[in-house]
Amino acid sequence: MATELIRIPGSDFQTEEMILNLGPQHPSTHGVLRVVLKIDGEVITAAQPDVGYLHRGTEKLAENRTYPQMLVISDRWDYLSAMSNNLIWCLAVEKLLQIEVPLRGDYLRVIMVELNRIASHLVFFGTYGIDIGAYTPFLHAFREREKILDLFEEVSGARMTYNYIRIGGVMADLPEDWIGKCRSFLEWIKPRFVEYDILLTENPIFKDRTQNIGIISKEDAISYAITGPNLRGCGISFDLRKDEPYCHYQDFKFDVPTGKQGDCWDRYWVRIQEMKESVKIVEQALDHLPTGVPNAKVPRIIRPPVGESYAQLEAPRGVLGIYCLSAGEDKPYRVHVRAPSFINLTILQKILVGMKLADVVAILGSIDIVLGEVDR
Amino acid sequence: MIFPVLTQSQKRSIGVLALMGLIGGGTAMAIGELGMRLTQIWEFLLPILQKLPIPEMASQIAGMVIECSLLIGFISVSVMFMVWWERKVSAHMQSRLGPMTTGGWHGWAQTIADGIKLILKEDIIPESANSWVHRLAPVLVFVPAFICYAVLPFGSNLIAVNLDIGVLFIFAISGLSVLGIVMAGWGSGNKYSMLGGLRAAAQSVSYEIPRVLSIVPILLFVGSLKLTDIANYQSGMWFGFIPRWFIFYPVIGQIAFIIFLISSVAETNRTPFDIAEAESELVAGFHTEYSGMKFSLFFLAEYAYVFLSSGLTTALFLGGGSGPLLPTWVWFLLKSFGIVFLFLWFRWTFPRMRVDRLMEFTWKFLMPWSFVNILIAGAVVLALGV
Amino acid sequence: MINYFKTIYQVSKALLQGMAVTGRWLFQPAITVQYPDEKLTPPERFRGTLVFDKETCTACNLCVKACPTACISLEPYVDPATQKRIAKVNWYQIDFGKCNYCRLCEEACPTKPIKSVRHSHDYEWSMKERSEMFVKWKRDPSPVIADTPKDTGTKAA
Repeated sequence: MATELIRIPGSDFQTEEMILNLGPQHPSTHGVLRVVLKIDGEVITAAQPDVGYLHRGTEKLAENRTYPQMLVISDRWDYLSAMSNNLIWCLAVEKLLQIEVPLRGDYLRVIMVELNRIASHLVFFGTYGIDIGAYTPFLHAFREREKILDLFEEVSGARMTYNYIRIGGVMADLPEDWIGKCRSFLEWIKPRFVEYDILLTENPIFKDRTQNIGIISKEDAISYAITGPNLRGCGISFDLRKDEPYCHYQDFKFDVPTGKQGDCWDRYWVRIQEMKESVKIVEQALDHLPTGVPNAKVPRIIRPPVGESYAQLEAPRGVLGIYCLSAGEDKPYRVHVRAPSFINLTILQKILVGMKLADVVAILGSIDIVLGEVDR
Repeated sequence: MIFPVLTQSQKRSIGVLALMGLIGGGTAMAIGELGMRLTQIWEFLLPILQKLPIPEMASQIAGMVIECSLLIGFISVSVMFMVWWERKVSAHMQSRLGPMTTGGWHGWAQTIADGIKLILKEDIIPESANSWVHRLAPVLVFVPAFICYAVLPFGSNLIAVNLDIGVLFIFAISGLSVLGIVMAGWGSGNKYSMLGGLRAAAQSVSYEIPRVLSIVPILLFVGSLKLTDIANYQSGMWFGFIPRWFIFYPVIGQIAFIIFLISSVAETNRTPFDIAEAESELVAGFHTEYSGMKFSLFFLAEYAYVFLSSGLTTALFLGGGSGPLLPTWVWFLLKSFGIVFLFLWFRWTFPRMRVDRLMEFTWKFLMPWSFVNILIAGAVVLALGV
Repeated sequence: MINYFKTIYQVSKALLQGMAVTGRWLFQPAITVQYPDEKLTPPERFRGTLVFDKETCTACNLCVKACPTACISLEPYVDPATQKRIAKVNWYQIDFGKCNYCRLCEEACPTKPIKSVRHSHDYEWSMKERSEMFVKWKRDPSPVIADTPKDTGTKAA
């Protein structure tokens, strides 16, 4: 990307393009992402995301880990929603092993994944507020997230890398009184959504910053394989929980919120609505939590038959998929992760062009990437 | 519920605050008018100085030095207080506590500790920076802020220089600061800094206009640019209970106040108008490359401007130091810090505006309305013959 | 024209509502826990630092195999008199620089009723050097009286 001279027609005055490195050390790249921007004044003429600063080679690591051990690594992909990562790995391995998880196990998984979705979207809400320049929503969101993490800590023993959902079920059944705590949390968070709407969603300055900015058209979204809230923000109602239910998602009643035109505000709004839907799902799951054991019988040493499996689920950031190839050993032969953040990030170079420099962080934030997942 | 059931610690803090208020108010009343006291001290000292075998010039210079150091002392202490206050206010708005340990009581010494840290820090000049411009910029930002304090009336008879063109002087001098910001942006040799500096220049120049225009109605009523005249004009009551402050002038006062407040926030580069610093976009804008004492000068200047704007708002719209019971300087400080609190409140509530929207806002919204306000005020002045 | 004023009204209303929210929280008690002075009790399942009980360990190697980062190593005790391996450890080492705190070792441990390697509730731990991260438990120098272990059923896998 070399700079070019920009000639202003009808005058001998000329300006020069400037290359601006946004990141890898920058307050609002949400990790170590580098975006090489070519700017003319404050207008972006070209943008190129440069990923890989957080690459840890987890797909290769999987080849040297047994199936339960890989679960620990999976926590580290999308560290804001580690439950989804745990779940997708388990789903893929269970497909290989052809294990049926008991109903209670599935419900527990749904509860955890949905709570984690709320936690993940809360981080998005907070950090997006900071990207736009509002600091208070960030700590308000983290205050609520802290309560979710407390719940997770009680159930799994850790706050970020849960390792809770296991092959064939979950690590352990719910501790005593956990349901009551979870319910009181749900009651606590419901009025908070109203505050969030006042603080950001309906704030005129925020709307001004995000509406009609970074519009992704439906065609683009499909051709770039965008998934998750980013896709639904464009107005396409695609949600694996509805379209291809796993873990008995068909038992729950919830809506799939969709945006109108696919701008930053729509993507943001979809996430806020999804949190409300997740609260509904968790409530239903707690109401109808089946009794029984949560775990299926799993062999002590997991040695799936030769074969391959692909499992996918609706993670907070989009469709998270695992392609797992077994050679009949206790370690997978090859693993591929379809990381939604990475694929969603690819559209950045298209929608950034023509935007203002101040919009870069608004657009980047609205795509909601987690660099741990982008680089894996 | 707005007021939850008070816990023991809250009751205690309310008690402590009330006690402090009582002690402070008592002390203030005991001191009385600070301007009067200072004049008394000066009148007491002057004959002694005249008797001493030193030229008259020296005693005058000594007086100036004393005045300057009083102002510098006031700026430093008020900035320290404001920084601490901002941290506490922002913390409590975000369900946090803020600094709690330094100094014992609610981290009151945090800013002092920070100041010491900033002085001790290494002073870095980047290789790509223009060394002289880089060094000069913080001074050029701070000095105008300091000069402006000279004409700020802190109370009756408590003003360093009572200029006839006080208002104009403040606007003219504080406008110079943008030069320092642009120099800081350009001289740092950093792209982010440069963008921040350019943004600051555009913003300050644009917001200066509605800011000045918004107070033209006041000048129409008062007929003077002298800040003490303006403050005196607002003494007294309407119907015995509404103070004759400009903010209470129907329609005109409110429009002028809002425009002035908004452009003051923009002038001081604070959220929602902090596009020059814009942490999430430009890292730290024009002061990205500054460290140590030079950075703290920027910091000092920012808060000095915040208090300056608040003090100006108080003098122009809130009747300066007028108020019952307490001496005028206390009233002035109370009102000014009230406005400072508004600044903090804005900052910790609103997101940042975008550059082009910011410009649109001032040129397409604030400017026309300040013209309309001048028109109304002119009509009122003509009709009533004030 | 009416729309213009309506927009102004709506915008100012929304902004003032936002200020009301932050203003309300200003008077709510903070949720901060002032850590060194106040401490939360970790929940029952909390995964703190690993503790090891060298008396009950049977040197079965299951934890070594379970660990995803291979941070555990051990050496079974060989009785110098008989040159036989007995179900005791000679030394047991955990490299806390690599430990994931994932509980797989604790789950793999077969000793009952208390696992010999398990997570404690302790989380205040810091090291200054990498070498300190290797925590080694050594067998007591006192000789083992019983040649054949009676209380442990499992042999090395």
